[in-house]
Amino acid sequence: MRQRRIAALTAAVVASLIVAACGSSSSSSSSSGSAGASNSSSSTSSSSSSSSGGSGTVNGAGSTLAAPIYQQWGSVLKGQGLTVNYNAVGSGAGQTQLEAATVDFAGSDPALKASDKAKMKGPVLQFPVAFGGITVSYNLSGVKSGLKLDGPTVGKIFSGQIKTWNDPAIKALNPGASLPSTSITVVHRSDSSGTTQGFTTWLSDTDPAWKSSVGEGKDVKWPTGTGGKGNSGVAAVVKQTSGAIGYVEQAYALENGFTYAAIKDSAGAYVLPTIPNTSAAANGIAVPADLGVSTINSSASGAYPIVSQTFLDAYKDPCKSGGANSGTAAALKKFLTYAFGAGQQTLGAGGNQLPYAPLPAALVSKDQAQLATMTCNGSPIS
Amino acid sequence: MEASITSVVTGDRSVLERSPAARLPDRVLQWGLSGLAAAILVLIVYFFIRLIGQSHTVFSHYGLSFVFGNDWDVNRNIYHGAAMLVGTLITSAIALVIGVPIAVATAVFINELTPRRLRGPLSILVDLLAAVPSVVYGLWGVFVLAPKLLPAEKWFASTFSFIPWIGGGTPTLYNYFLAGLILAIMILPIVSAISREVIATVPSEHKEAALALGATRWEMIRMAVLPYARPGITGGAMLGLGRAIGETIAVVLVIGASPVIGNHLFAQGNTYAAVIASEFGEAQGVHISALFGAGLVLFVLTLIVNIIARWFVSRGAHGTRGTGATGMTIAPAAER
Repeated sequence: MRQRRIAALTAAVVASLIVAACGSSSSSSSSSGSAGASNSSSSTSSSSSSSSGGSGTVNGAGSTLAAPIYQQWGSVLKGQGLTVNYNAVGSGAGQTQLEAATVDFAGSDPALKASDKAKMKGPVLQFPVAFGGITVSYNLSGVKSGLKLDGPTVGKIFSGQIKTWNDPAIKALNPGASLPSTSITVVHRSDSSGTTQGFTTWLSDTDPAWKSSVGEGKDVKWPTGTGGKGNSGVAAVVKQTSGAIGYVEQAYALENGFTYAAIKDSAGAYVLPTIPNTSAAANGIAVPADLGVSTINSSASGAYPIVSQTFLDAYKDPCKSGGANSGTAAALKKFLTYAFGAGQQTLGAGGNQLPYAPLPAALVSKDQAQLATMTCNGSPIS
Repeated sequence: MEASITSVVTGDRSVLERSPAARLPDRVLQWGLSGLAAAILVLIVYFFIRLIGQSHTVFSHYGLSFVFGNDWDVNRNIYHGAAMLVGTLITSAIALVIGVPIAVATAVFINELTPRRLRGPLSILVDLLAAVPSVVYGLWGVFVLAPKLLPAEKWFASTFSFIPWIGGGTPTLYNYFLAGLILAIMILPIVSAISREVIATVPSEHKEAALALGATRWEMIRMAVLPYARPGITGGAMLGLGRAIGETIAVVLVIGASPVIGNHLFAQGNTYAAVIASEFGEAQGVHISALFGAGLVLFVLTLIVNIIARWFVSRGAHGTRGTGATGMTIAPAAER
């Protein structure tokens, strides 16, 4: 009898473990996480003076690329009584949730299209938040960072036309380098991703053959190569495979000490994907009225060409369109004030900073000016 | 005594009859359990209808080519998911081919060859495999198994290049075989646990009779144990197959996500569960409908597997003596 009870107990424990294991892996996370509490000291001096909106809760959902940013900002603001819940469900799902007004803001990597805006419950404000470079990383023994590549060559590599590292096309771009005859293994994302969108947009911009054969999108039909899940999945394959080449987010490549290529910009210079070079992509670019900037293949000098941006979308009148009360609207405004103020200083190349490129000053002031137009039922938010 | 009882039970009922209130738990139990059981049925039907509704767009657009066409190109709105159908079937088949013999061998070993004292701990260890989260299996595949397996796969493919489909190709880091191998490990505990229970129901007279006729231990297992347990083992294998078909995250990590059917065993592919998991987050419009369609096909596929499993088990129950899988038949106690 006792033995049977123990067996039943064991079964129950095992069953509960299985249930736990099968639980979804979605990274819904409230901002209370331990991630990067190191920054809180530098930024507590920010907008805590804002009077009425001292506490509150802001809910957001969307881009996985921007999730670390919102989570870090949330953990800083938690100390000031403001709770930011961000659910990294993907840009498309974030937009859908904003349409349904189940969140106060959406994180989205692509800019809103006119058709997206039409589906919203009211006028929407779109704020650029940060930039992220996409590196072309490789694993080639004896070749350090800085191999020179341009769009058409990368296009030929990723479409399987260039099969070995000592191909004449690569040699022509790197006259001094000694390139081995290792065969090339292309690594791409297996999941839908804004990183894929950014990378293929750049390829389509610079390589007409790519544009007509594969095109741009979050999922494209890769002519060759192996798929890895997420940046970490791609990084794992690149690390393990000699002769591999893949596109990895800058944040990831910098943290893991990858070797990456210098990419030819539109002026013909070769630029490395450093944080300052990534920020430079937004210098002097045309900013549309809805701030839907595109930083791919920027014409600014010294700018890294493969830079994607991430936006924050919120209703211009969160009370009328989004069903928020004045307290939530004030909390949202406080969050955004931080995002385009002290929050930007948490981004950058420093040791305790998030490895995303901050916005240039000109764009920050545009964000701030747009934020000032946000209202609650037509009256300004205090 | 009598007086006190009659004072409680009023009316003209016999003293032995219980009050209607005392029967209430029975009725509550009956209705409650029926309700819960019905809820499961309703839920399944609801899933089915909902999946059909959501995937209507893609089926009206592509018809059967959604299932049998070989081209998945989200960017151009082409959703022909044969790669997923084939990938799901191939990886599950590999899992069965590798996993079931090992699971049955483990069960036979534990029941027939292990000293009684070790049986409990060994069974628990095998069952613990089920408690490892599937994402851990997947990550182990990515970081440990895949790079270690690749040289062996290359050797195998070039040595046995004369076998069509198995040899001849160039193995990629992630492939059908790797995914199948990981699935094999994942279905091992369930198949092994069921086989163990079934083999334990084999009457000792059968075994003793075989031994008395001069059979060796192996002959006894082959002639007395395995035939008796076969329907149950088949049922267990079908349950394992169900698990392998639906496994998601471990497969996502090691399948390589190819949009078309891989042309050899060590080529990368995709499965229905994997494509839903990796593409759903960013899907819009027809793409969402296509993923719901993938879910519908997966649902039907699992349904078919379950029907086949039931059929196997019930056929076995009529054909041989024991019901094996359910373990309902109690074997007569052996004379000692």
